[in-house]
Amino acid sequence: MKRLAAVVALLGLTAVTAACSGSGTPTNQSSSGGGGGGLFTTIDVNRPGIDASGPANPYNPKGNSFLGYNAMKLAWVKNHLTDPNQFYPGIAESWEIAPDNSAITIKLQPNNKWSDGKPVTAEDVRLSIGIAYTQGSTAFAITPGAAGAAADVEVVDDKTVKVTQDMTNPSSKFARGVLDTFVAPAHIWGSVLPADFWDKLKASRGEGADAEKAREEITALGEKIITFAPEKDVSAGPFILERVNPGEALLVKNKEFYNAANVAPDQVKFLNYTGNEQIWNYLISGKLDHAGFTAAPADVMNRIKQAPGTNIIKGFSPVAVGMAFNQTKKPYDNVHVRRGLAYLIDRAEVTKVASPEGGNAAVTTSGIHQKPAQEWLGAELNSLEPYNPDPAKAEEEFKQAGLQKKDGKWALADGSPWKVTMTAPSGFSDWISAQENIKGQLVEAGVDAEVVTVADYPLYLEEIAAGKYDVGFWLIALGPAPYDIYQRLYGASNGWTNVAGKIKHAEPGKSGNWMGGAEKVEVDGTEINPGELTGKLNSVSAEEAKPIMLQLAKAANQDLPVIQLWDYVNTQFTNTSRFTGFPEQESDLLRLPAGVWIQLGMVKKTP
Amino acid sequence: MSSAILETTSTAATMRRNFWRGVWRVMKRKPSRLVGAVIVLGFTFMGVFGPMFYPEVLPRDTSQLYAPMSAEHWFGTDGQGRDVLAQVITGSRYVLLSALVTAVITVVLGTAIGLFSGFKRGRWDTVLMRLTDMKLTIPGLPLLLVLSTVWSFGSALEMGLLLGLLGWGGVARAVRSQTLSLRERGFIEAARGLGLSTTHIVGKELLPSMAPYIAMNMLIAVTGAVYAQVGLFFLGVLPYEADNWGVMLNLSVFGGGALTTTAALPYMLAPLLAILLLTLGIVLVVDAMDEIFNPRLREE
Repeated sequence: MKRLAAVVALLGLTAVTAACSGSGTPTNQSSSGGGGGGLFTTIDVNRPGIDASGPANPYNPKGNSFLGYNAMKLAWVKNHLTDPNQFYPGIAESWEIAPDNSAITIKLQPNNKWSDGKPVTAEDVRLSIGIAYTQGSTAFAITPGAAGAAADVEVVDDKTVKVTQDMTNPSSKFARGVLDTFVAPAHIWGSVLPADFWDKLKASRGEGADAEKAREEITALGEKIITFAPEKDVSAGPFILERVNPGEALLVKNKEFYNAANVAPDQVKFLNYTGNEQIWNYLISGKLDHAGFTAAPADVMNRIKQAPGTNIIKGFSPVAVGMAFNQTKKPYDNVHVRRGLAYLIDRAEVTKVASPEGGNAAVTTSGIHQKPAQEWLGAELNSLEPYNPDPAKAEEEFKQAGLQKKDGKWALADGSPWKVTMTAPSGFSDWISAQENIKGQLVEAGVDAEVVTVADYPLYLEEIAAGKYDVGFWLIALGPAPYDIYQRLYGASNGWTNVAGKIKHAEPGKSGNWMGGAEKVEVDGTEINPGELTGKLNSVSAEEAKPIMLQLAKAANQDLPVIQLWDYVNTQFTNTSRFTGFPEQESDLLRLPAGVWIQLGMVKKTP
Repeated sequence: MSSAILETTSTAATMRRNFWRGVWRVMKRKPSRLVGAVIVLGFTFMGVFGPMFYPEVLPRDTSQLYAPMSAEHWFGTDGQGRDVLAQVITGSRYVLLSALVTAVITVVLGTAIGLFSGFKRGRWDTVLMRLTDMKLTIPGLPLLLVLSTVWSFGSALEMGLLLGLLGWGGVARAVRSQTLSLRERGFIEAARGLGLSTTHIVGKELLPSMAPYIAMNMLIAVTGAVYAQVGLFFLGVLPYEADNWGVMLNLSVFGGGALTTTAALPYMLAPLLAILLLTLGIVLVVDAMDEIFNPRLREE
């Protein structure tokens, strides 16, 4: 689940930018029937170990604010296959996005109140947007020239807020960036921002020393906000934090919540856990009503399936994992070496060993998860080289790269030994199993290989960005926004940065460029600049994006900055013994916390 | 002159013969001791020659993930479909080599410091013993956890060296008190009176009396070192080595669910059994050594 935490964290990062269309579709608000009451037991897969002293603060990584339960956002992002601007209502009842994406007008739920009885107002939203600026949010970024940043926040009336986009560097994901914002009560949190905050924000937009100082001050405020601890939890969500101890966190129903009549459970309990094996035991004993994806070996999975009431729901998760190369290191700078490796690795076997329940072997390397790939590329997906395991082709590619085969072992062109050193963060058991399997496959084919682990994921990210690894695993295809998908391959990690709408390319080893790919690559005989094309995806419509996506998919497929290994599957565990009404298979709700299912009124007590 | 030399040589040879005869007698008295010796020899053989019977990267069979125990796979297979027994055998070299290095360092360092301290007494004793006390107060496991973040223990020698440097304190203290007691005994007084050199007194008079104690300590240090490093690997704080016993335990429990369901149980039991057997072997051999070196136990 460590891995999942990382996946989700990355997904969080992508929650920025994008296009028009899409208005709220409040669903399931009435569907009465079924009774209320009861205790809903769950775990927070993203956060092992409950911290009893953590504040009820959604910005605090150790805080006891649970997304969808007692932590609310303006709206809940659906992560639709191709459209980033589809949402379920949250604090906002509806929203209107200007056709040119220049503004979004948000209407709040008319009857929503904080748990202390005060109404939720536009002022709460304005304050929360102020807080978002201190936390480095995407729509509310203080970096000059950032794509999809807001220009102005206007309180229209008590229940309406209008946010306009800075159109010098627009992004189609702008609305998503705005709606994906936590909302905190101004009457409790008001003191966290100084009175002159909005002036300071204005000052930070300019250039020069004063602006720089203002930006530093705003960032410093962010640190303060993370530690803010309200005396008691005041929530506008379906639940309020009642008490926490190291074993569990107990939440009770918020009677003031706008849809409280349709919220079935009276109480929610988050159980503490430190490792996957505890979650397995909870699931096998049928204790949990819901658990997010937890990797489990086949035998454990069978036991979980046998538990009475177990209901496993699978859906799409816009994440894939690729084997990424540092192209500043030999021999990975040679495309034929990368292709040769792609022909040697049996992705089906890797997936079977590493992530049988949580992944599907990638059909090919396109840089896109296979589900949205069909939407974006259509039939062209089949025209991409599938890189099916083929040792003969691998040999041909290696020969073209000038590698030498001595006594059945491949060596570099100058005859020196070649060892594929793959690095993975310790604790990411699926990545390590995958690399161990790849190592076996490569050694069998005469390519020496080894697996090295590093202490944890943050260190891994730091070291991979510093260019310390030859080969490592890299999360890709972080949709649904087209720009987000390809910025993982042709973004900052490969040298391209988007500042003030201008795409710049940095030399390998500089400005976070660790992939070190060529600035221009040849696709079907023509030279393209994949970074510039990716940058364009920020501002074009979905239809305009399609041909660009195809070009980039071909670039990824032919140039192979990564070998796409498997596409993640979103596997959720639920139990119908106590509650029913969980989302259907493949539902977009699976990409949202179970608290959202409950607050939308879907979950009902089992009669 | 020459006959005198011959005589000494033959006396030494006779003594040696008598010693081995004594060893054999002691071993025979309790068959369990023989079993212990066989186990220890078996592990030594496994560590030295075992890995030679297998390819560098073990063959895998992905149609047999976590396969149960069978004639083909005595302890089943792991999550990659590799034979578990083969991993225990190939992994024994790292574990045993580092344990041996640890034991040697522990004993050599501990004995040297203890002997020197106890024999010299005075200022040296104070300094060395305060140093030992300080070393003994440092908690081993937390220190190892911290060290593991900056040091990657890729080689068994490094691992053994570190564990050895952390483990000599107890031996040093014990050897010092033995030395303090022995140095006041009559035979040492006599040796001093004869004007024999310090080297002779320490090397020929003091050390042999302590040899059994030191030897036993060394064997016990081996088991201690095995527990320590397997524990570290099990906790997952050390780099990943597929065929390390500790990593096997870690993967079986946290990856295979050996404590939750039965599929990965043999995968967990195999390295555990190896550790158990090794400990048993060493305990039995220590029992035998006790009698071999202790004349009172030997008399019958």
